[in-house]
Amino acid sequence: MKKSVWSYIESSRKENLLGRKNYLFLTLTMAVTDFKIKYDNSVLGYLWSLLKPLLMFGTLYLVFSVFVRWEVENYRLYLLLGIILWNFLSEVTLNSMVLLEGKALILKKIYFPRWIIVIASSLTSLLTLLLNICVFFVFFIVSGIHFQTRGLYLIVYLAELYVLVLGLALLLCSVFPKFRDIHHIWEVFVQLGFWATPIIYPISIVPKKYHTLIFINPIARIIQGCRQALIGPGSEFLGFTNHIIIISVAACLFVVGLAMYNKLSRSFAEVL
Amino acid sequence: MIALEQVTKIFRLPHDRRATLRQRFVNILRKNTYEELYALRDINLKVGEGEFLGIIGKNGAGKSTLLKVIAGVLEPTSGTVSVNGNIAPFLELGVGFQGELTVKDNIILYGALLGMSRQEIERKYDWIIDFSGLERFVDAKLKNLSSGMQVRLGFSITVSVESPILLVDEVLAVGDIDFQKKCYDCFEDFKKHGRTILFVSHDLNAVERFCDRVVLLENGKIEAQGESGAVIAEYRGNMKPAQTI
Repeated sequence: MKKSVWSYIESSRKENLLGRKNYLFLTLTMAVTDFKIKYDNSVLGYLWSLLKPLLMFGTLYLVFSVFVRWEVENYRLYLLLGIILWNFLSEVTLNSMVLLEGKALILKKIYFPRWIIVIASSLTSLLTLLLNICVFFVFFIVSGIHFQTRGLYLIVYLAELYVLVLGLALLLCSVFPKFRDIHHIWEVFVQLGFWATPIIYPISIVPKKYHTLIFINPIARIIQGCRQALIGPGSEFLGFTNHIIIISVAACLFVVGLAMYNKLSRSFAEVL
Repeated sequence: MIALEQVTKIFRLPHDRRATLRQRFVNILRKNTYEELYALRDINLKVGEGEFLGIIGKNGAGKSTLLKVIAGVLEPTSGTVSVNGNIAPFLELGVGFQGELTVKDNIILYGALLGMSRQEIERKYDWIIDFSGLERFVDAKLKNLSSGMQVRLGFSITVSVESPILLVDEVLAVGDIDFQKKCYDCFEDFKKHGRTILFVSHDLNAVERFCDRVVLLENGKIEAQGESGAVIAEYRGNMKPAQTI
């Protein structure tokens, strides 16, 4: 009996690779659709969505530059970059679960590879991230800082961040249909992570002995790396070892996430 | 084209469904019991190229499960399913529709879901609009259309998919007479072009009219199969006499 199940999977895999080649188009269409719905198909819709991160930025900036003062150069940019990158993580991971639930009806009726849903939702958020980065550069130019060549490291970090976050999203989505409350639990974790990562505070206020603990978190490394690439100061996070650490964590998460998702998504039509 | 070998599908229906960590934690000491439902039992079925196969049976006989297993939406508990060629699922019309988007965007989205490429959709776009009779509403949001219009749109898009295999599940039940006539004309056309069609329906007259071969399902098993007239006669013979209320 077991053998026959495997041969079924084999045959459906063959179909995936050779039978239908339009999955890329489907992924992009889904991503664009979600983007259109999210922003109501208008530029103003996008501007409206900027309100939330900008208000958050404004509040935190007010608190931590007027009431409490950190000794950070270009604190505005430092803070904004951190918030934008963290928002990307929280958006991809949380939205992919919501989208998966929203697509339950389609999953029950039409066959297509299930990973398309997660990839499409991550692409939607990626588009938002890129637009937010543009907003960041407006602030960047206004601040009058010079763009250095090492700023191009930003692209590398964004690629690493994308793979890492995608791995996380796959992992969460694969268990989501069986444990719906993982969404709420993860929300709490995202909130915790926000404060455990040097986003609003400079790393210098954390006692040295806790630094290893903080930088276990690869996101903290990515955020620090992006900052040093664009605004400085320092360059210890631009080094080779930092990339190795980030890439290996990201690759592990991605591989484990994909394997679990592939295995568990086969029963999505029944449990969702 | 399609071959099923000893396909069995068992649904495990838990007596109390635990869909969250909290429920699992709270009930950790209590054993969950299941009801096992054999939706399909040792189904062996071969469908040849260009065949128009009818599937009939009572509610809950496993007709829809069978189509879903063939479409790849459900995975069989055991057995093998092999399908040669693309499948266009007519399992439900317009499941992927987004009310907030325009008719045009929905055509692209639904077309992509059914496996069409961008060029294919562009090529068929005018035909779809024409066939569904929605020329005036191309830029309207889908949610503002009547449900009948939405069904017509869904049907037109699905029909335009050029896949060799079609799975049709009761779509005809929803339309008015004109629409049903259109559907039947379409099926005649498909038959002429030698496409393989699996047709699930309660409308025995339609089944008799189109199908070369009919499979009668009962409790997940193939009760009878063969020439359509004979199988339908057997199905009719099995019917319980109507009870007076």
